[in-house]
Amino acid sequence: MKRTLSGLGRGFLFKLNGWTLSALILGLLIFIPMAAVLWHLTDPSENWKHLEETVLTSYLKDSLILVLGTVFFSVLAGVSCAWLVSCCEFPGRKVLEWVLVLPLAVPTFIAAYAYFDLLAMIEEEMIPLVIWARTKSLEDLDTVIFLLDSLKYPVTILVMASVLYPYVYLLARASFSRQGSQLIEAARTLGYRPRSIFFRVALPLARPAIVAGASLVVMETLNDYGAVKHFGVSTFTNGIFRTWFNMNDLPGALRLAALLMLFILFLLVVERILRSGAKFEEKGTVVRSFKRYRLGPAGSTLAILCCLLPLTFGFLIPLGRLSLWAKESYQKILDFSFLELITNSLALAAASSLLIVLVATFLAFAGRYFKNPAVHASNRLAILGYSVPGAVVAMAILLIASPFNLSLGILLTGSLFTLLFAYLIRFLAVAWQPIDSGMEKNCDRLNEASQSLKASPLVSLLKINLPLIRPSLWAAGLLVFVDTMKELPLTLILRPFNFETLSTRTYDLTSNSQIPESSVPAICIILVVVIPVIWLNRKMEARK
Amino acid sequence: MSDLLAVRELSKTFGSNQLPAVDEVSFDCQKGEILAIVGGSGSGKTTLLRLIAGLEIPDSGEIVLEGMKINGQGTFLPPEKRDCALVFQDYALFPNMTVEQNVFFGKAAKKRRQEVEKLLELTQIDDLRNRYPHQISGGEQQRVALVRALATQPSLVLLDEPLSHLDPELRNSVRDDLLNLFKETGTTALFVSHDTEDAMAMADRVIVMRNGQAIQVGTPMEVYTKPADRYVALLFGKTNLIPLDQIPDAPHHFQDDRSEAEVVSIRPHEWKVITKNSADSGTAISGRVTHVHYKGNHLEVVFESGGMQIIFNAPPKAAIKVGEELAIAPKFD
Amino acid sequence: MKSLLAIFIFLSAALCANTAEINVYSHRHYDSDTVLFKKFSQETGVQVNVIKGSADQLIQRLISEGKNSPADVLLTVDAGRLHRAKEAGILLPVESTKLSQNVPDSMRDPEGNWYGMTVRARVIVYAKGRVNPAELSTYEDLASSKWRARLAIRSSSNIYNQSLLASIIATNGPSKALSWAKAVRKNMVRSPRGSDRDQARAVASGLADVAVINTYYLGILANSTSAADREVARKVGVFFPNQNGRGAHVNVSGGGVTRSSKNKKDAIRFLEFLTSSESQQTFSAVNYEYPVKIENNRSDLLKSWGTFKADKVNLSILGSRNPEAVKTFDRAGWE
Repeated sequence: MKRTLSGLGRGFLFKLNGWTLSALILGLLIFIPMAAVLWHLTDPSENWKHLEETVLTSYLKDSLILVLGTVFFSVLAGVSCAWLVSCCEFPGRKVLEWVLVLPLAVPTFIAAYAYFDLLAMIEEEMIPLVIWARTKSLEDLDTVIFLLDSLKYPVTILVMASVLYPYVYLLARASFSRQGSQLIEAARTLGYRPRSIFFRVALPLARPAIVAGASLVVMETLNDYGAVKHFGVSTFTNGIFRTWFNMNDLPGALRLAALLMLFILFLLVVERILRSGAKFEEKGTVVRSFKRYRLGPAGSTLAILCCLLPLTFGFLIPLGRLSLWAKESYQKILDFSFLELITNSLALAAASSLLIVLVATFLAFAGRYFKNPAVHASNRLAILGYSVPGAVVAMAILLIASPFNLSLGILLTGSLFTLLFAYLIRFLAVAWQPIDSGMEKNCDRLNEASQSLKASPLVSLLKINLPLIRPSLWAAGLLVFVDTMKELPLTLILRPFNFETLSTRTYDLTSNSQIPESSVPAICIILVVVIPVIWLNRKMEARK
Repeated sequence: MSDLLAVRELSKTFGSNQLPAVDEVSFDCQKGEILAIVGGSGSGKTTLLRLIAGLEIPDSGEIVLEGMKINGQGTFLPPEKRDCALVFQDYALFPNMTVEQNVFFGKAAKKRRQEVEKLLELTQIDDLRNRYPHQISGGEQQRVALVRALATQPSLVLLDEPLSHLDPELRNSVRDDLLNLFKETGTTALFVSHDTEDAMAMADRVIVMRNGQAIQVGTPMEVYTKPADRYVALLFGKTNLIPLDQIPDAPHHFQDDRSEAEVVSIRPHEWKVITKNSADSGTAISGRVTHVHYKGNHLEVVFESGGMQIIFNAPPKAAIKVGEELAIAPKFD
Repeated sequence: MKSLLAIFIFLSAALCANTAEINVYSHRHYDSDTVLFKKFSQETGVQVNVIKGSADQLIQRLISEGKNSPADVLLTVDAGRLHRAKEAGILLPVESTKLSQNVPDSMRDPEGNWYGMTVRARVIVYAKGRVNPAELSTYEDLASSKWRARLAIRSSSNIYNQSLLASIIATNGPSKALSWAKAVRKNMVRSPRGSDRDQARAVASGLADVAVINTYYLGILANSTSAADREVARKVGVFFPNQNGRGAHVNVSGGGVTRSSKNKKDAIRFLEFLTSSESQQTFSAVNYEYPVKIENNRSDLLKSWGTFKADKVNLSILGSRNPEAVKTFDRAGWE
């Protein structure tokens, strides 16, 4: 410990220059709002006791049920489809392989609106049961009511899992594709049938990828506001909004937000620990062409059904319903102001994409090129924003910005710059991941060579790093674009004067119970986002 | 003694290739025997191994293991049901499992705890049991892969280039260890090697393959001293192909596919220098020395006789000079 | 990048413009409002810029923005929120004879921070044919066990319910209010979910027999383009509770001038316009809301629900007792 600390000090002092200093400051600037939220863990709000006694447990319970259920079904659908598509051969596989990613284009709140009446329809089926139960004993009645009430969990879980499973699908697919055929063959010669091999070899090897996908699902589930609000599930995010708006208790809400942050950070740390020790990739020297299992007619039918199921729920049904509604109501909605919505959304997403890719590249480069441990640390802090729901990021910004409003006289909240800064905090990790790993794979050696040749860092960045990581830059940009287009809670809170996006308009229309009309902006979002999603999928292609 | 393994006219052609990878190969293997399959790259030796293991499906031919037809007319026993274990060229250890978990992975291995523990001790890897594959050396990984295969007590162990990934210094000791292990456990083993020295040192019999065909099957001594053709002869080291008419009393000869003449293969160390007026001047070949190389424990002499170049070994202190006129004769003992 | 720049320039221009205009932060998103705002601009030449949002968010925003806020007027759909805005110090006390004339005492802040402009009553709707209106009487009666598993009512996060509970706390006291909330929760056929309209739909479908909703939503249902919704409106009957006592609980939509307003004169004119009798008729005709002086109602639909006695308590209590109401809901387990 002593050694690393002094090493930190030395590294810090000796390698501090324009680049590293600015990277350090930028990284910390991005982290400060998060820190402000975390600080509220210590800040006692008068309401906290009340919250603890009354609603905290139900927030915990509902969040846990929702998260566990959504993760379970996402992993089930994602892993089975990924394995079928990577390791088996059956008719239609090539199409299904990329089509299975499409639900990524559907934000959770829009998925909820597409299924808005599902719960009501199921309840209607239960009416005879309820009427009968009213004539029975109080206990029977209570049981039936309890059952009726619990319906919201499976419905919400179904809706969320059907649009979030692609996170697991993509990562598991990449992992299965990379698994050398030798390990499978070794397992076969040791006496295991293909079915057992899936559970004993392929699945354990894919575990880090599956866990990474699952943690993304957890974060997206906890980030959602529209869907859980609609179905009446009181998750933590819902609770944060309630405490903030209903009880006018910003510190209490921030404390809840801090707890949520802590929980997610805890999950990420656990995931890291679980991964240490074992390695999950073989040092493959002999890469034999993989022979897919050819499925017979029965197996093929099952495989196709298995893949079609999540696709139908996650994309075909929502798109279908929304299209029907849009067809009926588009005349009411489409006017010149709608065009402004589209340009707002696109411009915002493009600006956010550009800004965040620039910042991510700068921070990643500064960290790698100068090998400064302080910059490494500040980078790790800066990307934490992704683990926090968008609503919390917005609250953090408001928290930070309010003192400035009064003293500087500048309107910080309600400007596009603040909104973009909030996106930066939230989505930096999304761009950081591909860019940093791209640099790790391609540029580290070359940077060392460039340094020994006394070339300036700028030249290294522009002439060596950027050209080599171009695919990563594109991937990063598209990912941020997609995420920004789909974003809702943060935009709702921080948007400037008279500024609406497709997301905010969809939300407004649905909160006004104009669900069919809301399909028009909703479909626009999906159609715009589908294209980058398909493109991104190509980049992460499974083996041929 | 009945065959443990019998392979009959096994053939396999991949995809759209014209030439078969394995072309009507037949041989058998007795219990407790160690068989080596040698040949250049592309000779089909690894494919043959994989066919026996069940990882490839042959186009025609038969494989019988322990009296049971595992491959033949209408039958194909999948690898998990065959009583043989394969040790892969780069070990194929599960990277996310410890040595112990790897070793006990095999279905049958779990039921033989005690015997497997003995194996771990024998191969001196039992104190590595909690390490992961990336934390141990190449030689240790090889032993883990071996024990993992042996742990299931298969009737037949197949090894794909067991020594090729090892450092040269390690090679010899590992070779000896392997041999000892096989003999001690009574293992029947079939291994593929591109290194003929390893093959000869370890194997009871050798199968030489070229272009998918089994050219010759025999003991190391047989293939070494009585090669079936030029390819086999050259595979096992330097040799001289002398036309038969020059050495009429040769115990073995074959047809050279290049010159289509009958030749005799006589290795560099199978020559003796004849002094003039010697008794067996009958089969002597006279010529001139063109090069002399000092090789430490022998002299390598390049000798020219009637347009034919012969390489022979002489004692390290022999007084042979370049340009000298000599006569040499093969020694057949 | 260019379009971003363009947006920024446009916005800065909008913010710095010096022509007569007022910026309105409004929770209301109705066609009636758009029509009226346009009318106001035409009559006075003052441009009306609207930013829409939920009242809670707008209030938070006003608090954050402080004296630099561009807002001139805040419009919400609930008196509780108006009171909250006043407590947060973002509203300005204003007075004018017109406002005092247009708006009854109970429907405005005593210090003039806000003024009501439309009224909604929170009523009981019941399944015609399954429920005899004679069984209905008061809000308090809904706690009776005869309604077990027959009641549908929306979430406590909704401000209308909070205001209702606030008035019950003011009338019956905190502990009785808590018991009432607990008992009502027990009587619900499902945990609170959906909007007021969903509660009415639940009554029409047979899942519930009674529900508590705002009159405004009944108007929406009755005039919906969806035949199913119109059917729902037909299937439910309207009952005004507590007619033998304090009267039915009402709430106002209203507005106030912000402290940060740079154009207070026009802001007051705006409020006067909205509370004028012509505007009031527009609200009731187009938006199914009662005028601030309920007896001035001339809409047939509203008349068809019957006349009723409204609770005359000053609606600022809806705001002052709101925090208590929220906590009471939490304690009662009413999500």
